[in-house]
Amino acid sequence: MADVSVQLGVLRQIKLVAGLRWRILRNSMRRKNNRMDLIGLIFASVFGALFVVILSVAFYAGGYAFVSHERVSGIVLLFWGLFLFWQLFPLFAAGFGSSFEFRTLLRFPMRLTAFYVIGLAYGLADFSAVAALCWLLSMTAGAAVAQPGVLPVMLLVGAAFVLLNVTIERLLGSWFERLFARRRTREIFLALFVLSMISLQFLGPFLQRYEKTVQPALNRLLPYLSLFPPSLAGRAVAGVAQHHPGAAAVAFAGLFVYVVIFSGLLWQRFAVQYRGEELSETSAAARPVVRREVRPASESSDALGVLSPQIAAVVRKECRYLTRNGFAFLTLLMPPLLVFLFTSQFGGKHPTVTHRAISPDMFFPGMMAYLVLILLAPSYNSFAYEGRGIQTYFTAPVRFRDVLLGKNLLLVSVLFVEIFLSIIVFAIRVGLPAAPRFLATLAAVVFVVVGQLSIANWASLSFPRKLEFGQLRNQRQSGMAVLLVFGVQLTLGAVSALIFFAGKWTGKAWLPTEAFAFLAAAAIAGYVAALDPLGQLGQRKKEVLIETLCR
Amino acid sequence: MPENAILTEKLTRRFGNLTAVDGVDLQVAAGQFFGFLGPNGAGKSTTIKMLTGLLAPTSGRMHLLGVDFAGNSLEVKQQIGVVPEGMGLFERLTGAEYLHFVGQMYGLDRSTTRQRSEELLEFMQLADRPKSLIADYSHGMQKKLALAAAVIHRPRILFLDEPFEGVDALAAGALKALLARMTERGVTIFLTSHVLEIVERLCSHVAIIHKGRLVAQGSLEELRRGVAGEAGTTQTLEAIFLSIVGQDGAVRPGLEELSWLT
Repeated sequence: MADVSVQLGVLRQIKLVAGLRWRILRNSMRRKNNRMDLIGLIFASVFGALFVVILSVAFYAGGYAFVSHERVSGIVLLFWGLFLFWQLFPLFAAGFGSSFEFRTLLRFPMRLTAFYVIGLAYGLADFSAVAALCWLLSMTAGAAVAQPGVLPVMLLVGAAFVLLNVTIERLLGSWFERLFARRRTREIFLALFVLSMISLQFLGPFLQRYEKTVQPALNRLLPYLSLFPPSLAGRAVAGVAQHHPGAAAVAFAGLFVYVVIFSGLLWQRFAVQYRGEELSETSAAARPVVRREVRPASESSDALGVLSPQIAAVVRKECRYLTRNGFAFLTLLMPPLLVFLFTSQFGGKHPTVTHRAISPDMFFPGMMAYLVLILLAPSYNSFAYEGRGIQTYFTAPVRFRDVLLGKNLLLVSVLFVEIFLSIIVFAIRVGLPAAPRFLATLAAVVFVVVGQLSIANWASLSFPRKLEFGQLRNQRQSGMAVLLVFGVQLTLGAVSALIFFAGKWTGKAWLPTEAFAFLAAAAIAGYVAALDPLGQLGQRKKEVLIETLCR
Repeated sequence: MPENAILTEKLTRRFGNLTAVDGVDLQVAAGQFFGFLGPNGAGKSTTIKMLTGLLAPTSGRMHLLGVDFAGNSLEVKQQIGVVPEGMGLFERLTGAEYLHFVGQMYGLDRSTTRQRSEELLEFMQLADRPKSLIADYSHGMQKKLALAAAVIHRPRILFLDEPFEGVDALAAGALKALLARMTERGVTIFLTSHVLEIVERLCSHVAIIHKGRLVAQGSLEELRRGVAGEAGTTQTLEAIFLSIVGQDGAVRPGLEELSWLT
């Protein structure tokens, strides 16, 4: 018979879990890398807080304006904004999610009620929830200042709205977790997600071009939106403000029904988890072996024959990892697509945003800078996906500079192909800029890319962070690495812009080309000179790398 | 061939105030099947990490096959194979791709790598899932693949950290036979395992590390004689091990201290 004679209450269990989370955070600060990471996170939090504060003011103003100017039904829009942000933001910024799997608590004698409440409480600790709560409170304050009589209904509707949102968010999270338990499903969905994100980029230009056809169709859909929770919440508030208690009661009852239905669904999901849901992957059945002839590999046919076997092996491995990483692979589609997108909006013969297109001379360098920004960011954490394989680099007879070189070679090759394809799309859509600007931009790309590689290698060795393939949640880069990416890219971007403007101010069209050619040569020389010291740094940092990536 | 395949002098590793390995002097002769034992946290993994280049020693020297590791790490690494703790696999490659990668990292040409990969996958019974990623392998399959990768370049010293953990009895039998054949051909095998029966069956020589210090080293017979004299030559390795690491009286509390449980 176990000694536990008194079962802990729900509140006590929640307090224990909160204490556990605090101790995990505090203990993680014992590691230097985590402390550095915290500094980066604090900077990111400052930006996040600014974003929340600015929008809080907007929500306050919105709440006040809609209620005071007798356009109270417009408050529906604010509820829709909150709802969409709360449900969609976690998908876009899943990296901010907690890295603590609260399901592991199930091994303890925890009641289903406590499990449910803790699950909801976790939902309230997300950035999206905190931000949405701030905005909801601001909106409530604005509405109450405009018409004090709406305060009780705002509080009541707000509470129901918060409960509904957190419940839906947790329910979706739980369904996704179930769905993504298998690696292959996870990767397919991630690929579909990225593709849909890319497709969304084209929505704006599409709507602008086909506005006359799309508008009536959208208008026909609008009445159906009134049945959804944000509309019901807004209508409940509007009903009270306009002294239509019956309409308010009906709308609130509708909202309450949503709360009950989704709470029931979430309770069911959590109950399944509580009983011990099996989420592990089962190995695929072995397939019959089809023996292939052992084809003697011809050394002369090896496309990477000019490289040492070790560097060639790293390049091949990186290439395989790239093609198997749905997210990274799909980002390769982005550059030509983005050129297509931006040339539809801002440049070319038929820009949708302005009647006066931006000239290729301005557009081309900006476009290339944007592409380099996207494509180079992952190189600041280039060991992210190595996992335990990182040990191979240290047990094999290979110089670490060769590992860095192999990784950089693949990246530069990919960049070369991407930029080449983008230039083709650019030339077709807009036309190429004048020769001095074109060559200056290419030289600038070499300078910016090669100039960053050494810094990116240093960041990869100094602030490594493990990432998992095909996962959205808990995928966060090191805060310091993120700061470094922004700092370096801003600096290099500013230097490049200055050089371009210097050419314009002095009237010497070839000056930027000459300057960038010099800088590119210097960057290449610097890169070569830095390889050996970085290789040695890699050896010195091997313990940190192994510890971080083998976890 | 040098007499000692592995020779360490005052090998030490500190983590802050903790001395994980404290002045260890190891001697492993070429061609020995050497068992490296110790309780949890004794310093086994730290020692093997230093010997394989995964961890830098704080002080002391390591000579592998007569070559000083400190200044010639690449030369040494060419001669050794490793199954590290956690196996060190790139999980997004297939088994064959991983073996090709490792073969090339050790400088083998592509045709040799391809041929050896196929033979090793066949031997390890991993050839029936050519397109599966390592991430989808079971733990035992990953272990076998890690072992295949460790021997693909025909190393002269093989470091194995818990090589039989999670491997089924059938495969373990084949692996033991393979390892025995390798030692017959002069390969030195340095093995750590918590399963003392395996060590006793396979290893001719054993060292025991306890609290970072080497407390015993020699052939099994020498250890038995050292512990119990001539009369004790039939003692099991487990008895020897418990007798040596329990000498400081701090092995474990008596069960009476857990009277509330028992």
